[in-house]
Amino acid sequence: MNLHQFFQLFVNGTINGSRYALLGVSFALIISVTGRFHLAYVLSYTLAAYAASSTADAWGFPFPLAALAGIIVAIAVGVAIEVVVYRPIARKAGGSALLTIFVAALGLTIAAENAIRLTWGSASENLSGLPRNGLSIGDVTFTALDVISLIVFWVLIVGLTLFLQRTRQGRLITAVRVNPEMARVVGIDPDRIYLLVFAIGSALGGVAAILFTVKYAAVPDMGLDAVFKGFLVAFLAGTASSPTRIAGAAVLLGLVESLSGLWLKAQWSPLVVFSVLFIYLTLLPLDFWRPRRLVSAFAR
Amino acid sequence: MEYQIDIVNQILIFAMFALSLNLLLGYAGQGSIAHAAFGAVGGYAAGYLSAKSGLGFAPSVLIAVVTSLIAGTLASLPALRLGEEYLILLTFAFSTIVISIVIAWSKLGGAYGLLGIQQMNLFGHDLPDPSDKFPLLLVLFLIVFAFCWRLGESPFGRLLKAIREDELATRSLGKNVYAYKVIVFGVTSAIAGLAGALFVYYNQLASPQEFSVNVSISIIAMVVFGGSANLFGSVLGAALIVVSGPVLEKWVSLGEEKAALWRLLLYGAALVVLMVLRPQGIIPERSSLRGWLSPLFRRRAPTPALVPELSAAMAGAGAPAPTATSAAPENAPAFVGAAQLGAVTSGLRQDVAQDRLVQQREIGVATLPSTATVREPVLVVRGLRKSFGGITAVDGVDLDLPAGEVTGLIGPNGAGKSTLFGLFTGFLRPDAGTVLLRGTDVRGKSPDAVAGLGMVRSFQDVRMFQGLTVLENVMLAEPRQPGENLGGLFLRPASVSSSERRVREHALEYLAFVGLVEKADWLTAGLAYAEQKLAAIARVLATGAEVLLLDEPTSGVDPRWVDSVAAVIRGLPALGKTVCIVEHNLAFLEKIGAPCYFMEAGKITAKATVGELMTDERLRKAYFGV
Repeated sequence: MNLHQFFQLFVNGTINGSRYALLGVSFALIISVTGRFHLAYVLSYTLAAYAASSTADAWGFPFPLAALAGIIVAIAVGVAIEVVVYRPIARKAGGSALLTIFVAALGLTIAAENAIRLTWGSASENLSGLPRNGLSIGDVTFTALDVISLIVFWVLIVGLTLFLQRTRQGRLITAVRVNPEMARVVGIDPDRIYLLVFAIGSALGGVAAILFTVKYAAVPDMGLDAVFKGFLVAFLAGTASSPTRIAGAAVLLGLVESLSGLWLKAQWSPLVVFSVLFIYLTLLPLDFWRPRRLVSAFAR
Repeated sequence: MEYQIDIVNQILIFAMFALSLNLLLGYAGQGSIAHAAFGAVGGYAAGYLSAKSGLGFAPSVLIAVVTSLIAGTLASLPALRLGEEYLILLTFAFSTIVISIVIAWSKLGGAYGLLGIQQMNLFGHDLPDPSDKFPLLLVLFLIVFAFCWRLGESPFGRLLKAIREDELATRSLGKNVYAYKVIVFGVTSAIAGLAGALFVYYNQLASPQEFSVNVSISIIAMVVFGGSANLFGSVLGAALIVVSGPVLEKWVSLGEEKAALWRLLLYGAALVVLMVLRPQGIIPERSSLRGWLSPLFRRRAPTPALVPELSAAMAGAGAPAPTATSAAPENAPAFVGAAQLGAVTSGLRQDVAQDRLVQQREIGVATLPSTATVREPVLVVRGLRKSFGGITAVDGVDLDLPAGEVTGLIGPNGAGKSTLFGLFTGFLRPDAGTVLLRGTDVRGKSPDAVAGLGMVRSFQDVRMFQGLTVLENVMLAEPRQPGENLGGLFLRPASVSSSERRVREHALEYLAFVGLVEKADWLTAGLAYAEQKLAAIARVLATGAEVLLLDEPTSGVDPRWVDSVAAVIRGLPALGKTVCIVEHNLAFLEKIGAPCYFMEAGKITAKATVGELMTDERLRKAYFGV
């Protein structure tokens, strides 16, 4: 292992981790406020990418307009899923809706992926419009796009944090998350807040998807890995944590995943991610951050 | 003909996947999206052994099953202790990891798959054609079906359903929920491994895309289409989804590639529509051939001998149970009159019920405590303390529960009463102090262990298993049933069925005791709230525990029912039970005549009867604020 390789992987890990951070923050917002296990987040993510690349391709939209179209599609899809699918299921099933909603989300995911294959074909779709020229600091290389993405991700994460803390709408969201019953009593309509949360979460996911598409390409099954990383990060940090904490966990995961490349071939990096999750879940019930609890748990 | 048999064979293999997943998803309510991945573990194990080591069919399949059993058990261990979201997350991760290992590991054939797998082989004969393989697959399918049926439609399956309905309540009844979840996950993975191995042998190919997350979703679709917790449904679901491929390809003539995409699109969409409109699936839980032909086979609960006697007694008193007691206030408007009537009916009810109960089995302490003897405290609590963050909810509580008595625990909201019950029964871990149950310190033990030692609680919000019948709710609570473990189910079927008859009889008696025997076969969700509270008492009784902690048995109960509940609770000491009730309804406690601990702000501040409390200026002020 040499120092150059370390720094290169460190930079790659930070860039990937920042994308996971945005995904994790948006997914955590949705699950912690609405309680919906929104696997169909895949739809918003993938369709945002395809909408942006198609409008740019077919109608010659300039990049900002195409990106806007993608984000609007993401929002529309997320909100529609909540209204048409999740809400009716939750009304019917009451408290035990988690599994039912999850299965419906699986159905949406698989239907959408194949609808995309039928519409656009299984090949990849490209999107351009942001500078992608290479930059370097010493031996470490990255692109202008990476720098732009990094800035966008963190501006959005910090912006969301401030929005939740400082604005009236943001505080309403927090109120519904902490205590939906009480929120209802004081006259907040949770359904409306849910829609707002789905809209924000989907928009942020759309941004991540569009930047991903510019860097690589849009493919029909691109959403699953993205959503998986979002889930993972949200749960590692705790879904009710602050966006900054979730973002921290995400960057850590990105670094672990990337730096494992110092010892392992890249195709084994999922194994590293899985191990992190497995160890974390093993330790979770032991409350390992409280040493006294840990001792008593082992003594049991 | 071979073409059709080929399709049937595939249905049989996928039905094995679906049947096993149904145990996990439909019965136990645990979502997993790694079912195909466990199939991959078995499939690749068998494929590797066959292609690279030249091991025969039977031993490779056997090793495959064991491998996936181990993999499933280990992988699920951490997540099953946590909420259901974590299991979904972990299985999601497991699925990704299995596929990436398979692709990354060149010995397993990489992205294109593992080739060179031998034919299925039975007693030295190769089985080359679908029609040769069919009998073997059919037999294996039937074995898997029978196995899953035995697990699902037995006391074990009842327990799985209880876990699905309410994990915490299941633990409170003394069941080690975690162990059951690990067992069912392990078994499910093993069967998936078997199906995966058969699939690999069948195609003589193991390839990553055959076991991807999408395949897991299709297996979930089979279970959900057919009907959760209905095994026939899983077979139907497997048939529908497998057949949909050839149908689209040949009849709609879409061509192979398009048909595959349309198929996934259609059943994905169908899943969504089904979840919104009919989440129970095509064949819902509890419906079977017999259900469809129900006019021919009307299933009736064998009425226990007790019931006619009891209802005769009730009729004699001018009050048939349980509507009787509820109607009592209308018959006798004067409150005292109603109470007396209640006392008469409950007296009769107790005598009859109690005689039977005492005759037939020991409940808790063997002999009924007589009023003359000095009563040893069964539960001794000293210096109990619990704080949540900065708030001390329980602050140095000392308390004794004398054997065979009803003791009340009263105090304003937020005084820490329910927290105390949680601390006694292992739902919460005390910061300090001791909880001695007949001399054994139960502090730090799990809820199921505490229940096993003879102390159970009920819940303020009842927490009956809504999707189970009233009778099943009560039967479930009976401790140490041989049908609740795999050894008993498969090795001692006779003892399982005799135990089941006994448990059923007991449960009916408990239901008779609380006046609900007529509604034994109702789904619990169909009962009135007050009836659910009564059924919850029957359920804690059925655990056989000596100490019953009842959390607000009359809160939210229609006043007409309060007398019934009072009558039942007054009858408990005669069954040898030691009872502690958290209650706000002072008239109710006065009626029971229980001495009460008075709790304020985490401390016990007085022990008095309700009458004394009413006359004590300070306590009255603390409680009523006047």
